[in-house]
Amino acid sequence: MSRVVAVASMQLINKWAYVGTPLLVLGGALALSLAIYAMVPTDEVKYGGGSQAPFWYFLVLGIQSMTLVFPFSQGLSISRRAFYLGTLGLFSLMAAFMTGIYLLGGVLEEATNGWGLQGYFFQLPWISDGAWYATGAFLFVAMMFMFIIGFWFATVFKRWGTNGLLIVGFGSAAVLIGAAALSTVLQWWGTIGAWFAQQTPLSISGWAALVCAVLAAGSYATLRRATP
Amino acid sequence: MSAIVVEARKLSKRYKDVLALDSVDLKFEENRIYGLLGRNGAGKSTLMSILTSQAFPTSGEALVFGGSAYENDAVLSRMCFIRESQKYPDDFKPKHAFKSAALFYRNWDQDFADRLAAEFRLPVDRRIKKLSRGQLSAVGVIIGLASRAEVTFFDEPYLGLDAVARQLFYDHLVADYARHPRTIVLSSHLIDEVSMLLEHVVVIDGGRIIIDDDAENIRGSAVVVSGTAELVDGFLAGRTVLHRETLGSLASVTMEGVFSAQERREAQELGLGLSPVSLQHLIVRKTMGDAEWSAKPAEKPVDEAMEVPR
Amino acid sequence: MGMIDDSRPIFVQIAELIENDIVDGTLAEEAQVPSTNEFAAFHRINPATAAKGVNVLVDSGILYKRRGIGMFVATGARAKLVARRTEQFFEQYVRPLTVEARKLGISPQELGGMIARAAGAAEKEAVQ
Repeated sequence: MSRVVAVASMQLINKWAYVGTPLLVLGGALALSLAIYAMVPTDEVKYGGGSQAPFWYFLVLGIQSMTLVFPFSQGLSISRRAFYLGTLGLFSLMAAFMTGIYLLGGVLEEATNGWGLQGYFFQLPWISDGAWYATGAFLFVAMMFMFIIGFWFATVFKRWGTNGLLIVGFGSAAVLIGAAALSTVLQWWGTIGAWFAQQTPLSISGWAALVCAVLAAGSYATLRRATP
Repeated sequence: MSAIVVEARKLSKRYKDVLALDSVDLKFEENRIYGLLGRNGAGKSTLMSILTSQAFPTSGEALVFGGSAYENDAVLSRMCFIRESQKYPDDFKPKHAFKSAALFYRNWDQDFADRLAAEFRLPVDRRIKKLSRGQLSAVGVIIGLASRAEVTFFDEPYLGLDAVARQLFYDHLVADYARHPRTIVLSSHLIDEVSMLLEHVVVIDGGRIIIDDDAENIRGSAVVVSGTAELVDGFLAGRTVLHRETLGSLASVTMEGVFSAQERREAQELGLGLSPVSLQHLIVRKTMGDAEWSAKPAEKPVDEAMEVPR
Repeated sequence: MGMIDDSRPIFVQIAELIENDIVDGTLAEEAQVPSTNEFAAFHRINPATAAKGVNVLVDSGILYKRRGIGMFVATGARAKLVARRTEQFFEQYVRPLTVEARKLGISPQELGGMIARAAGAAEKEAVQ
């Protein structure tokens, strides 16, 4: 167990990757959004998608922790299991921390009437409609999802190389397209649309968490035989 | 006989159509310095990767401290293998790498690491990405030495290091090993540089172990006999000849084996020259036939290392 | 101190180096010999190999061990070594000398004269 914790501390030795950069990306996106809100000549309420910027960074982090941190962890004689648990654990902490910041940002936005500009960055329609914990759950799962997707693709790449990545990439695309085609043929789109319309951030989080769990299990199974 | 800490049993590794390891059997004993010698591509890195469970064998078994290292923290925590092409997190500096190593190696000596970094003139505050090849090697060498793991593998640790830095490494290796005995496996193709540090030599060629013997048994186990071709050949009739070179009517023949005092006298009386064979020379003769020995560091010309003592 | 080369067993060479120091008086009888680790560090050789060289001399009674202190030159070691080396001298130097002399047609008498002359020169050099 202590080696799992050590894996997490190891990645925090350099604070930038897990703490500094995401905050910087978030701060930059916020500043940019506010600047744009200030320039838009309307009195109406403004929303923007800038707050998703850190999510993309998490995708990159997921990839890098596999392509760069994993080989280093092997050099330090760390088992694949300890590396996996430590990295995933660290990322959960990270996602929880960022979720906290988003929720606080939302409270702040409400109190200041959208930074005095009627511009909203954290408080977005639908996502922030429900209770705070529903919003939190959605943000947390979304961040985990980005990280795990990156981590999983990188694991596939490490294990099977470019060909593996292409096969998995095209395979997933084929499955999605096939499902879409099937839905069209069977005229399911109406039902599917209705199903999505019924979902709340909380229920979507539940479904996404399920997908995350499947991907995380898949990553671990793939990592078990990966070489640095 | 001391305890066996590393063992390979019929270890084979196949990459598509290449047999990188061919049924390798090996035993490494506690607290000795081993040389894993061989040409580039002979299978040295593959063997070390599999022994440390960084890679997987196609067949056979690799045991460290009696068990497989695979996903085995009890075994893993007692060994260290920094690869020749070791990767580090993108934003890491050498000091971060050392701090990380300190988290995982219970015998880690930070003072020692600091001293080594100063002696190697390693910029510990520069991003590893921006280091030169030699500085990158120094990071690996420092982790390998300062971790003081019970079994430590060094995979061609000298790449890009200049002559001074290489000597520093060899000196520290001997001195620190003397103070803290442990099992060290040093892979190298610079045999002349490392041979005196080794207690035991394993030579791998084309994925097979061709020599596995104490360095002292190998030293002096071959002789170069030179003189008139006719006389040399007559004198060596029935002996194992490793290599034969001729120049006009003269021959220079590397023979495996030792002469008795009586035979030496006979050779002298025939006017034949006898000269000893260095470990490197012997291994070169055994592994290459007519092919060139692998790349040498730039400052050491190939000819010099290849030179046949006459 | 002489250098070690890689073409003969190193422990033999280590033993020879210590013997040389005893024969020429650098290491007096009952003087302490450097530790094996010091030998290893100085010659950049494997410590186990250095220890083997020292142990050869312990086994032949040239050196002896004082527990917890180190290795010392035994009393009488020098005389023992000189006697052994005199024997080797004949095999290593005198015999090849006569072989070469015969090739060149130098008679044993002439050879004797040459040796006397060289010995005289060596003595003179030593005096100066």
